[in-house]
Amino acid sequence: MTSRAERLTTYTVLSLFAVVAVFPLLAVVSQALDLPHLSFGAFSEAWRRGHFARYLTNSLIVVTVVVVVASVLSILAGYALGTMEFRGGSLLFYVFLAGLMVPTEAVVIPLYFDLRSVGLDNTLPGLMLPQIAQSVSFGVFWMRAYFRSAPRSLIEAARIDGASSWTTMRRVLIPVGRPAILTMVVLISMWTWNEFLLALVIINSNESRRTAPLGLSIFQGQHQTQYPLLMAGALIVATPVVLVYVFLQRHFIAGMLSGAVKE
Amino acid sequence: MRKPIVVLAAALLAVSACTPGSNTPKPTQKPPSAINTDIAKAGPVTLTVWDQEVLPGQNEQMQKLNAAFQAKYPNVKIKRVSRSFSDLEKTLRLALSGNTPPDVVEANQGYGIMAALVKAGALVSLDPYDKVYGFRKRFPAGVSQLNSVTPDGKTIGSGSLFGVSMTGEAVGIYYNTDKLAKLGIQPPTSWGQFEQDLALAKSKGETPIYFANLEKFPAIHEFGVLLGQTADKTALRRLVFGQGGAWTDPPVVQAAQKLADYAKNGYFSKSANAGKYNDSPTAFAKGDGVFLIGGPWFAADLQKKMGSKVRFMLPPPASAGAQQPATLGGPGLPLAITSKSKHPDVAAAYLSFMSTPQAMDVVTQTGGLPATKPATAKPTNPVGLDVFDAYRVASDKDILVPYLDYATTTFLDTLGSALQEIIAGRKTPQEGMRDAQKDYGDFLAKK
Amino acid sequence: MNVRPPGEPRRIGYLYVLPAFVVYALFLLWPLLHGAWLSLFHWDGLTVGTWAGAANYSQAVSDPQLRGAFGHAVVLLFFYAILPCVIAFVLVSAMARTRPRGLTFFRTVLFLPQVVAMVAVAVAWQWIYSEHGPINGTLRLAGLGGLARGWLGDFDWALPSVGLIGTWVEIGLAMVLFLAGVQKIPRELYEAARVDGAGAFREFFAVTLPGLRRELAIALTLTTVAALRNFDLIYLTTSGGPGNATKVPAYEVYNRTFNTGEVGLACAIGIIIAVIIFAFTAVINRVVEGRP
Repeated sequence: MTSRAERLTTYTVLSLFAVVAVFPLLAVVSQALDLPHLSFGAFSEAWRRGHFARYLTNSLIVVTVVVVVASVLSILAGYALGTMEFRGGSLLFYVFLAGLMVPTEAVVIPLYFDLRSVGLDNTLPGLMLPQIAQSVSFGVFWMRAYFRSAPRSLIEAARIDGASSWTTMRRVLIPVGRPAILTMVVLISMWTWNEFLLALVIINSNESRRTAPLGLSIFQGQHQTQYPLLMAGALIVATPVVLVYVFLQRHFIAGMLSGAVKE
Repeated sequence: MRKPIVVLAAALLAVSACTPGSNTPKPTQKPPSAINTDIAKAGPVTLTVWDQEVLPGQNEQMQKLNAAFQAKYPNVKIKRVSRSFSDLEKTLRLALSGNTPPDVVEANQGYGIMAALVKAGALVSLDPYDKVYGFRKRFPAGVSQLNSVTPDGKTIGSGSLFGVSMTGEAVGIYYNTDKLAKLGIQPPTSWGQFEQDLALAKSKGETPIYFANLEKFPAIHEFGVLLGQTADKTALRRLVFGQGGAWTDPPVVQAAQKLADYAKNGYFSKSANAGKYNDSPTAFAKGDGVFLIGGPWFAADLQKKMGSKVRFMLPPPASAGAQQPATLGGPGLPLAITSKSKHPDVAAAYLSFMSTPQAMDVVTQTGGLPATKPATAKPTNPVGLDVFDAYRVASDKDILVPYLDYATTTFLDTLGSALQEIIAGRKTPQEGMRDAQKDYGDFLAKK
Repeated sequence: MNVRPPGEPRRIGYLYVLPAFVVYALFLLWPLLHGAWLSLFHWDGLTVGTWAGAANYSQAVSDPQLRGAFGHAVVLLFFYAILPCVIAFVLVSAMARTRPRGLTFFRTVLFLPQVVAMVAVAVAWQWIYSEHGPINGTLRLAGLGGLARGWLGDFDWALPSVGLIGTWVEIGLAMVLFLAGVQKIPRELYEAARVDGAGAFREFFAVTLPGLRRELAIALTLTTVAALRNFDLIYLTTSGGPGNATKVPAYEVYNRTFNTGEVGLACAIGIIIAVIIFAFTAVINRVVEGRP
């Protein structure tokens, strides 16, 4: 049995690092709320001056579209790559996998010029499409892994019943795969919401299309040392993802634990 | 086995295997007779204007002027995008070669922005419009000179006119009258006196010069003021325009040495390289610093925060009563018309509107320093009046030297970094100036 | 109806893969190739470019400023990857045999920094490190006011300060990963080691380390990638300054495109970052996980 000393050490270490993780965030909250006075003035002023209503909406639109499209595409491709054999299937999988290694920094500059030449710069679709591509890379890897691990018996049973591949996927595997899909949705949402570099480069002049993180960076440039305002802005931008995380943390962590390489 | 990737890649590469940038067409100029000055007949127009007037007084100035323009021409709607100077610098260059660039931009003079844009054909020459609106007639020759670039984009300071400034700038010294009184001194009338004052302030526990230099460019103001003491203004102008001289010349290194000495003696704010520039008025108003080196852009904010406790002076001469030394300054960031604008005539009318004596009234009233004489307005507060008169003196005595970062496309970064290192004591003045000279020499060789 | 026995090649698979592949190819593969193409030119983004061949790449390894940037990336690797992984690994190993209660709570809290947008992290820490922020405030309260300074504007301290932000963000990830991994190690192994008379050290090398190999590989991979892709943090805290003290490759990709007009060079740096990530990932997985 583990000794009391060991248990004490364990709880002490865990608590210490929990405090380290949370302390800066608490400091930010305290600065934004002007504790101990407790005032929400900074929030309302930041909200107004930082145009966050608009920017949060844009982020929401982008995240929703990216998640829905990337999930659908990933499920379809992952299903095929995970349950069917066809020539080039393996190669295709590796091609998708390679995308996990490609950092945004390597593609953002060409994307700037390419999107511009087709008139997609400074538009939300211009911001969504590259992120769908990046998310698909992870999504295909993830869904393929799930479909491969699905019991062959389920698939065979459906096949014997005369179901087409589509029906098998829809009626049998997806319902069972909800946790895996939820994890994928949750991770893609987080990565898309938090994306900054793409937004900075692509939404470079149309203010009304800025996403929340980009809005925050502009806000900092304009209110450089008005710290309560800035902290309020930071909280406004970070909170949506944190809230989803708190309720679904199991899925976030499960995704990261199995080696998702996208960051 | 078919490798679809390879096939796809090869096809796409073949399709666009062109040299980058080879498909941006150069736009054509309209001859003067075709210019339309009757803006009201232009139909509904949206004019997108990018500016960096984010400080409170400047912001008010733009809002008032834009509102007045729209009142005069109800068919024109102005879409204003404003952001900080640093942010604007970063996004301007490439934005103008995009598909939906703004119509009017505040384009910083110098090789970094304006000349680069002219070289790429991204700005419209104002010469045809000058014939109609008489821009050059409105400003002293030196002002128009600085807003000019040769059409090939290779030389600044001459050639075609590309920008129209609303404001003027001269870098000088703000001082806190309360603190001077507490130290028992008068505003310095000579540079030697100024240095004595700095030492006195330091000995009494004050921050002699408030200095926030995170963005790198503020040090250029400090350095420029020191250069005015050690170097000759004609030589400095030639240096900035790339016509001769080197940053390793003795007078320049002397100024850098002074900068290093001031930092070592503790005359600047502690952690100067970490302070944020736009915070300066707030900090200075809170009592951090006896002196603040800066230009007219601070005046409105300082006046609001400090009232008559703050005053402004040009850098004093070496000895009391001697000739006024050079300092940095010139026309403020000019408005320019982009070549992809669909409404260049309306934009030109906008530029004209923003540089009339009436517009200068608005600039003055919002605490700014006008580029030319206002119709009626004069600043009513002490520091505003100081700044106003100082600029008149500076223009009359022709002592303004262009901002040093004009000298190369990367000089703001390279000179700014070198100065930061000198201030932090990490490089000697000689080493720092050698770094700056290297960038300068490379640039001139490539021109 | 045509019923195919499962396991035979299905042409319809291509159809399923097609939509994902099209988007992926157009908006990730194509820009990557295009970037590689652009990296072979000297181009300012405005005028026509000129052929450079490998000149941008040789500049990336010879130019002192760029070498400095890569050097800084190595320093940040220590803060983002080595430090968190080592600390977390050692600590979790010490906890290896306990099954603490409330693990879910701890996990949720420890992982929190990973979830907060990097932009918000940067804005927050930029205040924390500021002249009158909490760190200097605490130092002054503790009578150590002499140590207080503008951390992010100090030539010597800016890079470590940024690095410590990275450590803060990544250490939770490492701890959660290792905690999960350690829970999976059967207790019996520890009992057996104990029975065999193994001390703490032997236990560590014989049971804990092998059991956490996979988690270690994942942690090192994820944190290494984070170290090389820290554009957000640098852009919002120091912009590469003071001087060039915190310039990193990720920032230079942006800087060389938008500030100095060296687009080809920027693309080359981007490609180099991708290659480094690829190489590190391969090496880590080979070394740490070992080939079966």
